[in-house]
Amino acid sequence: MSKQIQDAYIVAAVRTPVARRNGAFRHVRPDDMLAAVLRELVARVPNLDGNEIGDVITGCAMPEAEQGMNVSRIGLLLAGLPDAVPGITINRFCASGLQAVADAANRIRLGEADVMIAAGTESMSAMPQIMGNKVSLNPEIFAHAENVDIAYGMGLTAERVAAQWSVSREDQDAFAAESHRRACAAIAAGQFDAEIMPYAVKSWLPGEGGTVRIAERVLSHDEGPRLDSTAATLAKLRPVFAARGSVTAGNSSQMSDGAAAVLLMSEVAIKRYNLAPIARFASYAVAGVPPEVMGIGPVEAIPRALRRAGLGIDDIGWTELNEAFAAQALAVMRQLDLDPVKVNPLGGAIALGHPLGATGAIRTATLMAAMQRDPGLRHGMISMCIGTGMGAAGIFERV
Amino acid sequence: MSRLIIRKVAVLGAGVMGAQIAAHCANADLPVILFDLPAGEGDANGVVTKALAAMKKLDPAPFAAKDRGRFVEAANYASDLARLGECDLVIEAIAEKMEWKLDLYAKVAPHLKPGVVFASNTSGLSIHALAAGMPEGLRSRFCGIHFFNPPRYMPLVELIPAAETDPAMLDALEAWLTTRLGKSIVRAKDTPNFVANRVGVFSILAVLHHTARLGLAFDEVDLLTGPRIGRPKSATFRTADVVGLDTLAHVVGTMQATLPNDPWHAYFESPEWLRALIAKGALGQKTRGGIYRKQGKQIQVLDLGLQDYRDSGDEVFPDVDAILKLKNPAEKFAQLAAHPHPQAQFLWSIFRDVFHYCAVHLGDIADNARDVDLAMRWGFGWAQGPFETWQAAGWGEVAKMIDDDIRHGRAMSNVPLPPWVFERDGVHAPEGSWSAAQGALKPRASLPVYQRQLYPDRVFGEAPDDRGETLWENAGVRLWRRADQDARIGIVSITSKMHAIGEEVMDGMLEAIAHAETDLDGLVIWHPAPFAVGANLQQVGEACRAGRFELLERMVAKFQQTSMAIKHAQIPVVAAVQGMALGGGCEFAMHAAHRVLALESYVGLVEAGVGLIPAGGGSKEFALQAHTMARRTAGGDVFPFIQTTFQTIAMATVAKSAIEAVELGFARASDDVVFNAAELLHAAIRRARALAESAWRPALIDSAVKVAGRDGIATCELMLVNMAEGGFISAHDYRVAKAAATALCGGEVNSNSRVGEQWILDVERAQFVELLKTEKTQQRIAHMLETGKPLRN
Repeated sequence: MSKQIQDAYIVAAVRTPVARRNGAFRHVRPDDMLAAVLRELVARVPNLDGNEIGDVITGCAMPEAEQGMNVSRIGLLLAGLPDAVPGITINRFCASGLQAVADAANRIRLGEADVMIAAGTESMSAMPQIMGNKVSLNPEIFAHAENVDIAYGMGLTAERVAAQWSVSREDQDAFAAESHRRACAAIAAGQFDAEIMPYAVKSWLPGEGGTVRIAERVLSHDEGPRLDSTAATLAKLRPVFAARGSVTAGNSSQMSDGAAAVLLMSEVAIKRYNLAPIARFASYAVAGVPPEVMGIGPVEAIPRALRRAGLGIDDIGWTELNEAFAAQALAVMRQLDLDPVKVNPLGGAIALGHPLGATGAIRTATLMAAMQRDPGLRHGMISMCIGTGMGAAGIFERV
Repeated sequence: MSRLIIRKVAVLGAGVMGAQIAAHCANADLPVILFDLPAGEGDANGVVTKALAAMKKLDPAPFAAKDRGRFVEAANYASDLARLGECDLVIEAIAEKMEWKLDLYAKVAPHLKPGVVFASNTSGLSIHALAAGMPEGLRSRFCGIHFFNPPRYMPLVELIPAAETDPAMLDALEAWLTTRLGKSIVRAKDTPNFVANRVGVFSILAVLHHTARLGLAFDEVDLLTGPRIGRPKSATFRTADVVGLDTLAHVVGTMQATLPNDPWHAYFESPEWLRALIAKGALGQKTRGGIYRKQGKQIQVLDLGLQDYRDSGDEVFPDVDAILKLKNPAEKFAQLAAHPHPQAQFLWSIFRDVFHYCAVHLGDIADNARDVDLAMRWGFGWAQGPFETWQAAGWGEVAKMIDDDIRHGRAMSNVPLPPWVFERDGVHAPEGSWSAAQGALKPRASLPVYQRQLYPDRVFGEAPDDRGETLWENAGVRLWRRADQDARIGIVSITSKMHAIGEEVMDGMLEAIAHAETDLDGLVIWHPAPFAVGANLQQVGEACRAGRFELLERMVAKFQQTSMAIKHAQIPVVAAVQGMALGGGCEFAMHAAHRVLALESYVGLVEAGVGLIPAGGGSKEFALQAHTMARRTAGGDVFPFIQTTFQTIAMATVAKSAIEAVELGFARASDDVVFNAAELLHAAIRRARALAESAWRPALIDSAVKVAGRDGIATCELMLVNMAEGGFISAHDYRVAKAAATALCGGEVNSNSRVGEQWILDVERAQFVELLKTEKTQQRIAHMLETGKPLRN
């Protein structure tokens, strides 16, 4: 068991809507998105003394260019948090946002802080190439056969998972269609409203006579889900990563832009501010797998996180399993015997989008909202696979 | 003659022709407003925006570069007519309905700019009747301007004056169309279907008639009426499918309605089977079925005997094939006429009746016989027009054969040949071509624009061109000059087959440059298309088979030496590129001080197709380009500029126009793009002279080129690993592409380190020779030599 001196609790979580890559947030900077969610987060706890925030830990999978230069510190300063608040940007690719929550919790659990913010921000629109602004690979990767899978594109690893765990094209497309169906239904029922802060997108456009016209448009809902994404329409798409493969743009996660922030406190701080915590951060685990089947990562991470929390898989009432690809999500669910009803009840990344390093924090906001809606929900879990072969899982417990 | 200033063009009608004419204007850097009817719902310009979007998918492409569409603005007649006031040339290209056109003219007339040129792209309606619909003040600025489909690629534009058309305006428009849009002009008379379609459609009708008469199959006729007789591969019936069977029937209908007194009028009718296909909605390519259709991969053809489609695959009778291969046209025609096989009879008949038709109508439809012949070449893609074909086969003999057939009722019409046919021994002579209307030989047009065409298309029997003065030659090249143009600018022409670059070409090029350096002010590399299809693969293949890799290494070294000689000559070398400039040809062009490219240039480094990489300095040139461009960036990193080139070379991408060649880096933005290939040599000589007269200096050889090195190669491999593992490329594709990456990145040295140009040349040469030693590359070369097609292995 962990040698912590106190527990860490989530008291608030908020996120932007998730926009499609080159969609509504095409010109929105990731540091601005981060500043916006930080501002909103502290606004939701009106009596919070900003000077007490021990650190802002922000996950970002491509921390460079617009989101480089320690985007965490820049974002918190832009948000108007006191100069006294430090900031750090961390990177564990797709688990960065969840890692930020875990790291923030750990600071509290170690007694080094009582108030912490975990966040995530990612603009995939800002990235000219999926792998970042300047891609440069080490020649050693190609000099040794056992290293070559470091260079595998994520889609290719999904093909490998589909082949190794026998996930059919039909199952992948059906899964993708169900993701869209659930997401559309959730949006229609307003189930994301509590966690989303509507985002006012400002646009600077050429106007009359050399003046710049500033237009504003508010995005309140996730842009990704499509009612017309059915198994039949998805079946028409061509595989993109392998000539005779099964992974298509339609049964893969969407590339997106978005940000989220989570406020964590110790019991001492919660009492001082007289707040009601939503959940206790119960456990976290990461694990490595071969890079060529990176999508299977959660199969290693989830059992470890469960063990550390002293729980069985049946104890988890709600799982946010990042749908990097339908192929890997299905392989993970089958390997661990996860109940499809309890996995991504509001849809997943295939419909909702996957802004890489922000996703962990975004789905924390979703899980917290679910726990606030349903008093019967005792345990929730967030898990994802991670590029170059890793998995992460974090477990949250109702207080 | 005052210059015609056209700053902006309006095209009325966004149909197949209108949209593509607009696209071609945009290719020529002309802003265009493309009009059509307002859409019933949604965006009012929806009709035009849809047409623009559809053009992006057309093959061959109407736009010479992907983003040219941004120079075409969409507009509609309901809200934007006032914008016609911005346009100096208005081309009307709406449906062929007289009352619709007249309606539109009345509507647009008040908005036209004073001095506008207003022209109709009608293919059949009377220009005089249309002119009558224009307000009187505009009639002098009105004429017919008949483009051929597809307008970017078919050279012909027929210009048709009305009675009141200002002759000076027409001359200026002819000059503008020739140079700016690169078109080949024939002045036509205002008779139904003008010149090319009048003869071309008659030719189709003659084919239809004789096909039925002799009971031939459609695919059989297409074999006979294609390249074997100097006509396009799509021949007759496949062309009809491409054009649209409904369109064909419409044009035939126009002839039926407008030419009641034509002696061949009885044949101006669509056959029963054609009407049946149209009634069924089988209109050809646009409905995925017509005379031909595709069943899976099998092409099927309509068989009138079976009343159904069958697999296509007819053959030409061996005797007939042998006759068609005869070099002597007189013999060819005599044997065709005499051979009893239906295919021979068919061929003689279709030629005879077209000759007959052209002779009878020459006086009414065209100024002279040259115009008819050139119209058929430029508008229908015939290698030779009807009159020159006849004349080449022996005018008097053939005339006698035709006359005999007319007398015996074997020709389609019994109208006699006009008397002048028997009074002459041909229609084309050094002094000019026969005008039946004027009873005289007419010389070529004397407009100044034609002085730019040093080697225009000549018809058989015309005066031969000035071949210039040979200064030096060997088996591979000829160094010569045109003293009348510029006595101190040399022209070096490759004389090998397809202008492939072998030892003798390299030797010749080196020698020609040495001559030019001492005796001339500049050098132009020019010869008719293609510019060069690459290195002489035959020589490479032979050396490979003999295992003489040290010889191959020397050949590549000489290639590099030649490229470097072109680049670093003490006089400016200008490459005049047209048609294909592939592999080594592309490398020669890249090394020139300047390039003058015909719009229709197809440029690429396609070595990967035969398992090789550019090693005649091409990889080095791209490494240099990256080095130069990176200096403009903040970080100075060369790799981003290598990455796109790597893809271009690994995938053997060919630029499909001169403009694309600039975009892909095979040419530079400062190079010249010439729209009319006939003006290419003129422009290149002038450019060489201009360089020689201005501050041109030979390029320095750089000893400190920043290269992408090891990390660059690894990052290229990232793409290769994923494509190979995904099953998109073979292991040998990977190997070849990695060799290309290695050359482009300057070898396995530190990233962003500096090396000399010679080092990069050494790297590309070493990679090239290593690939030559592989079995798979040798297989690719052998396959290319045998089949002309790349092998994927």
